[in-house]
Amino acid sequence: MKPSLPLLARAGALLFAASLVASAADQPAHDIYAAVAMTKAQKNSPTPTDSGLYVRRAGSTEWSLYGPRVLGITSIADQPGTNGQVLLLSCADGVLRSTNGGASWRKTTGWDVADVRCIDFAPSHPATAYAATCWGPLRSTDGGATWELAQNGLPKLYCQTLSPDPANAQRVLLGTEAGIYVSNDGAKSWTPTRGPAVCILRIARGVKNPDTLIAGTLGHGVLISHDNGASWSPTDAGSATANLYAAAIDPADTNRLAVGGWGVGLRVSADGGKTWTDRTAGLPAKNVFVVAFDPEVKGRLWASTFEEGTRYSDDLGATWQDGGLYGAYAFDFVFLPAARTP
Amino acid sequence: MLVEMQKKASLSYLPFFATVMTLKMPRISSITALFLLVSTSVLTNLPVFAASAPLDLSDAAIAQRFAVRRQAILAASAAQIKPGNTTTSGGFLDVASALYLGQNREAALARFAVINQPMPNANMFWTYPMATVMVAGGPGFDEPTWQRVKELWRIYWPNRGDTENHWCMYYSSMYLAAQTFEGAGPEQWFNGRSSAENLAEAREYILHWMNIAVTRGQGEYDSPSYIQEYIVPMSMLAGWANDPVLRQRARMMLDYLIYDYAVENIDGFYGGAHSRVYPRQIVAPGNTPIAAISWLLFGFGQETADPANTLLALSGYTPPPILERIARDTTHRPYVERELKRTRWRMRNAEPDSILIGDKRTLPVYKYSYVDREFVLGSSQGGLLQPIQQQTWSLTWRTDKPTATAANTFFAVQPYSSPLEGTMFFGGDWDTVTDLIARSKADYDSPDKLPSGSPFEQVFQHGTALIGLYDLPKGNRFPHITTFFSRDLVNTTEDASGWIFTQGGPVYIAYRPLAPGVWKPNDWTQLLAKDVKGFIGAGFDKWGAGSRCYVSDAQQNGYVVQVAPARDFASFAAFQSAVRALPIKFSTTGKAEVTFTALDGTVLHGRYGSTPTINGKAIDYAHWPLFDSPFAHEKPDSARLEIREGGDRYLLDFKNTRIEETAVPPAQK
Repeated sequence: MKPSLPLLARAGALLFAASLVASAADQPAHDIYAAVAMTKAQKNSPTPTDSGLYVRRAGSTEWSLYGPRVLGITSIADQPGTNGQVLLLSCADGVLRSTNGGASWRKTTGWDVADVRCIDFAPSHPATAYAATCWGPLRSTDGGATWELAQNGLPKLYCQTLSPDPANAQRVLLGTEAGIYVSNDGAKSWTPTRGPAVCILRIARGVKNPDTLIAGTLGHGVLISHDNGASWSPTDAGSATANLYAAAIDPADTNRLAVGGWGVGLRVSADGGKTWTDRTAGLPAKNVFVVAFDPEVKGRLWASTFEEGTRYSDDLGATWQDGGLYGAYAFDFVFLPAARTP
Repeated sequence: MLVEMQKKASLSYLPFFATVMTLKMPRISSITALFLLVSTSVLTNLPVFAASAPLDLSDAAIAQRFAVRRQAILAASAAQIKPGNTTTSGGFLDVASALYLGQNREAALARFAVINQPMPNANMFWTYPMATVMVAGGPGFDEPTWQRVKELWRIYWPNRGDTENHWCMYYSSMYLAAQTFEGAGPEQWFNGRSSAENLAEAREYILHWMNIAVTRGQGEYDSPSYIQEYIVPMSMLAGWANDPVLRQRARMMLDYLIYDYAVENIDGFYGGAHSRVYPRQIVAPGNTPIAAISWLLFGFGQETADPANTLLALSGYTPPPILERIARDTTHRPYVERELKRTRWRMRNAEPDSILIGDKRTLPVYKYSYVDREFVLGSSQGGLLQPIQQQTWSLTWRTDKPTATAANTFFAVQPYSSPLEGTMFFGGDWDTVTDLIARSKADYDSPDKLPSGSPFEQVFQHGTALIGLYDLPKGNRFPHITTFFSRDLVNTTEDASGWIFTQGGPVYIAYRPLAPGVWKPNDWTQLLAKDVKGFIGAGFDKWGAGSRCYVSDAQQNGYVVQVAPARDFASFAAFQSAVRALPIKFSTTGKAEVTFTALDGTVLHGRYGSTPTINGKAIDYAHWPLFDSPFAHEKPDSARLEIREGGDRYLLDFKNTRIEETAVPPAQK
């Protein structure tokens, strides 16, 4: 799940506080967006039967395709302060931008940008946005209208996850093929953080305590940081050698963590990573690609397994309910305030 | 098109595993048949003609024959538009041909309307035929047709794809569409960019691609399949780009690509190492787009429907005669052709010795081909040079068997599949990438596959001798090497000396495995045979059945290959005797190591992981030329190609966007 700070900032403290005491039965006030590829039925074809961004509207249990029918969508971000009018989509062809709440879209990157895996705005300075691509990171200082390559200082360019500092738009963490790098100058330059030089698959940041982050890695389990990403150390011996594609921190409680990966299923911690529990039982498979805490329904945890759709749990993974999207290979869940996009 | 069927690709989040399927069959319509009847002698060097007189290779004769073949292609394509059947007959390019020739306009527009419903879904395999119809047939459009075309460019978002050929096709199409819709605003385009913006983006990429290709080589180099996907976009630009620089460079790129092929061809078959081949193409080298294209270009083989042929014909491009003279050369053969190419860009897992071109990582590919008038034996150095479909080396010989089913080839492979390779080249996830690749390239993860690169392989060659060395780690997914013995081979014998002797047409072949193996039928898992309706296996019984493989599973392994034209020996037995007498010393203890003295007396030595030596001198990979043969000598980064043949000199100067044709000064001949 992409860090949801912008959402919560806009939702407001009152709504957030209310969510902490809400039950799972409460009507959510947000839409859930899932970037997926429908690969389950894909055979004799390089193309999934369908793919793109699916939305599950507030109060609905149905998913429907949203946005441009462009392939390879991996995430969506909305610009803080624009009331959902300025949106960015990351996809294989580059970055797409809407300035009218999704009514129309424009590609804002050139031929030299491809395979964009993660995109987000800097909450404290919404004109600043960052993107992680398989060919290196990008930055924008005009709300995603234009982009430039931001490779200086990176020994290896591959990256697929990032996390802007919520308080400092110039500071951003980047998950690369060779560990987590940090920029303190708006992605003009990068330096390595203290931690293993391994391939980083997903970075998740706490909301109540943004200095706490976790990262899923390729073959090295989950890393945790308590100093805003300056240093990282392994946690959870139970997944120490796993490929962890999914990582999430409950926005309501930074001690509640979830990670998921291939063969290891889904694991949660309720004590900030001191102990971990396997919560795979009830999921259709042990191959988890996305986990996300619902920002408004306390305790609700979403998970997506490879080609088996989504599940959600209102008891931190003790039991699971069918969330739809069967056949999907999901890349990200993003929560946006309801009815703000057409 | 009559028989063209394309399954396209698009992609997911991940690899856009390039795919093009072109089912081929000889296309001789009634019109063409009549045409052939009256002009056989100028269409092709059919045996009856070739036997009676040498082919006239003068400029005028070459140009005349090409013009006739070009008209045949156009006529056959346009004939697919049938006034009585606009519901099923004819594709985009046939519409373009009919409109271009001004025949059956109403039927062509009616057919165009049919195939423009409902929404397209073929991405760049939609953009290029659509753009072609617009530029080649646009003057014949009526207003409703233009409205539908404009609507489609507004509402359908074609994906750009993820390969070099995808982008070439996509951006060439975008360029021509934007040129056609000059002045259109962003609201008239699917991607929210104006015509001016789309034109500029497309132009920038195309020129960038050309520059890389002519200085450091293509990533999708020398593919008998995907050369089609480069000839198509370059033909489009050469034919219709208004920008004189782009138009001229596209024409020059066509010359460049065709030269690159001509210098390694044998009777139209593309010899040597290839970046990408499909199973049907690796076992039947004539079952390829280039075999079809070679008919139009040079008159090899027979007329076969192919999109590249239609595009070439529509564009008005005419290859310079010097290229046919090189393609049909008998004066300089045998010769050695060396070329420098590169791997596809590596987004991660790039090896420590990878190099940077701009901000992209790659490895050089060192190609070496021995081009005889009876065969081509060619190789690259091995390793992971391409995802999925690499052919590290091959022997291809002249044959009188039907082009599409002749199995006139011999090669070996270490089948390899892994997430390391998949994630090296594709933006997929480690644990799913192999599975998803195999969704379209079904053989990718099969132990009996034949196209493959391998990180455990090292190959080198000198003249007619080639050595392959392998170092397979324990736990490797497919721990064996496979040598393909085609059904076209004859007189195959396992000699007590350890050599396996066989004959492919006019070529004697000696193969010395360093470790014992077992014989298995090709496709021993029957993956291809059972894939009767699939993209990969369809038609296997015709093009693929009946061959066998020598499979060896030693971890330290290798082989020596020595070939010779049959004309050089009094008999096959004489060849065998000569080979038995050749000094050979090898070891598979530790790293595989071979010292072999070839038929020409050259001593080849290789130890896996070390630079091979020829007569005691290390092969100089550091100074490998961009091109080197009797016809051209170019260094990397030259951005030029000076071709010489006989008394002719043909210069492609990309730095200055010019072609220069002169006579070679007598002193330099």
